[in-house]
Amino acid sequence: MKENNSLPLVMMHDVEYIYSNGTVALKRVSLNINKGEFVAIMGQNGAGKTTLIRTINGLIRPTKGEIFLEGENIDSKTIATLSKKVGIIFQNPTHQLFSNTVEDEIKFSLKNLNLDREEIQIKVDKVLKEFNLEKYRKRSPLSLSGGESKKIAVASIICRDPEILVFDEPTLGQDAKEIRFFVKLIHNEIKKGKTIIMVTHSVEFTIEHSPRTILMSGGRIIADGPTKNVLTNEFLVENSSLVLPQIYRLRIELQKIGIDVPKEVVKEQEMIDFLNIYLENKTTSIPEGRLN
Amino acid sequence: MSLEFLSAFKFLKKETFLHNLDPRAKLLLAITYTINALLFQEIVPLILILITLLPIILIGRLFKQWLKSIKGMSFLYIFIIVLNTLFIKDRGLSFAIAMILRISIMISAFSLFFLTVDPNDLTLSLIAMKISYEYAFSFSLAFRFVPTIAIEAQNIMDAQQSRGYEMQKKGIINQIKNLFPLLVPLIISSIKRAFNVAEALESRAFGSKKERTFYFTIKYSTKDWIFTIYLILLSITLIFIKIHFISMPLWFRWGLPV
Repeated sequence: MKENNSLPLVMMHDVEYIYSNGTVALKRVSLNINKGEFVAIMGQNGAGKTTLIRTINGLIRPTKGEIFLEGENIDSKTIATLSKKVGIIFQNPTHQLFSNTVEDEIKFSLKNLNLDREEIQIKVDKVLKEFNLEKYRKRSPLSLSGGESKKIAVASIICRDPEILVFDEPTLGQDAKEIRFFVKLIHNEIKKGKTIIMVTHSVEFTIEHSPRTILMSGGRIIADGPTKNVLTNEFLVENSSLVLPQIYRLRIELQKIGIDVPKEVVKEQEMIDFLNIYLENKTTSIPEGRLN
Repeated sequence: MSLEFLSAFKFLKKETFLHNLDPRAKLLLAITYTINALLFQEIVPLILILITLLPIILIGRLFKQWLKSIKGMSFLYIFIIVLNTLFIKDRGLSFAIAMILRISIMISAFSLFFLTVDPNDLTLSLIAMKISYEYAFSFSLAFRFVPTIAIEAQNIMDAQQSRGYEMQKKGIINQIKNLFPLLVPLIISSIKRAFNVAEALESRAFGSKKERTFYFTIKYSTKDWIFTIYLILLSITLIFIKIHFISMPLWFRWGLPV
């Protein structure tokens, strides 16, 4: 394992995928993702984002090209093996909930890991506590609200402790409190050394939390770099049916009235800090006569 | 598991003689060929019936999809051959082949129907057959949702596999148990969708008036009658052969020695 440490965790080389009806979903996609990274994948609907994440755990086998996980080609590995390393959390939680109780739902995810009874119970208790779901332990997962069933879906993957967590539209339909919980969860997982890949349409969420963004269009990667560079590139943003982040637009508006905001300011807190300092300086430096 | 063979039953718009036929004529095709296939248990007449289907498939330019539907059933064919040769002592293999031909004819006839009938026309033709609009509409709605549910089933499978679910398990009981993680979400989301569709229909005033008019109408034209006559003649011939089967030439009853 040691010699693999220098290699990226996920390597894709010229990956292509063509659906049986002839639609080309991925075209010569190459990318590297390192351990501990938090990557957002963005792009308009039909750009190939969902196809791309499905190739990482073998749900979709590329028609061409190679994918390496921890330096090993995943071509010959089963989905069951790969899903121990890569946990994909899909958009719609109702697509996976089927058990009688929330507890059984989590247990189902653990049963295929060759753990004994006690180990499973310990893990279930731990994840239910972490997700604040203990009070629902004996409830049917189907009777819970949208936000809570999403939590169960996430918990049923996190309890398996995969190296890579892949989220498909995690913030969709979530209220502010649920999104806050999710942000905390992600930062917690990154601290543990996990790698996060997230498919999303939310520009604001990406610019606030994800350091790297991959932009896709028509099955190709059209940009891959620091989020603040990718999402403030007007040409790219326009061509991917996205909008520029609010803070960036505010910066442009402020510049129009003569307030020069530095380029580094892209997040909400950074803008608040800048404006605080700016206004402080301004009130002290404004000559008295001009205030009238 | 591949759900690809379902595409052999999905309507594709094309401009051919077969596609332009009235849906009722094509329904008649499916029904008569099913009956014809059920008349015989011998290989030769069943092959002949299958051969009479081929020109219709070619006219509809559907050869590829037809092959797909036959391929999709291949696991069933293997099943039939194994079971029949094991359990039927007298000429089990011949019987198995005859049954495979019989099923192939029925599947071909019905896949021809689904491949060439626009779900919208289906509603119209059901109404023309004096079925009330509510039932006709829900019937065509059911067809419209087959591909949607196929996609949904694939998504459910992906979601479960991502949490370590394995398709293959040993033992019949385990295999049945193993269906729950797929079937429960599928049934629940289908019920949810049904409610959503019902609400969407009602918010568009579905069924507010007893009598309704239609933008498109269908007509049983000359070519439909020609096709119908062909089907009737074919069926009469086959029934005649069936009745006088003993006096038919020997090669007609030919079968494999096993």
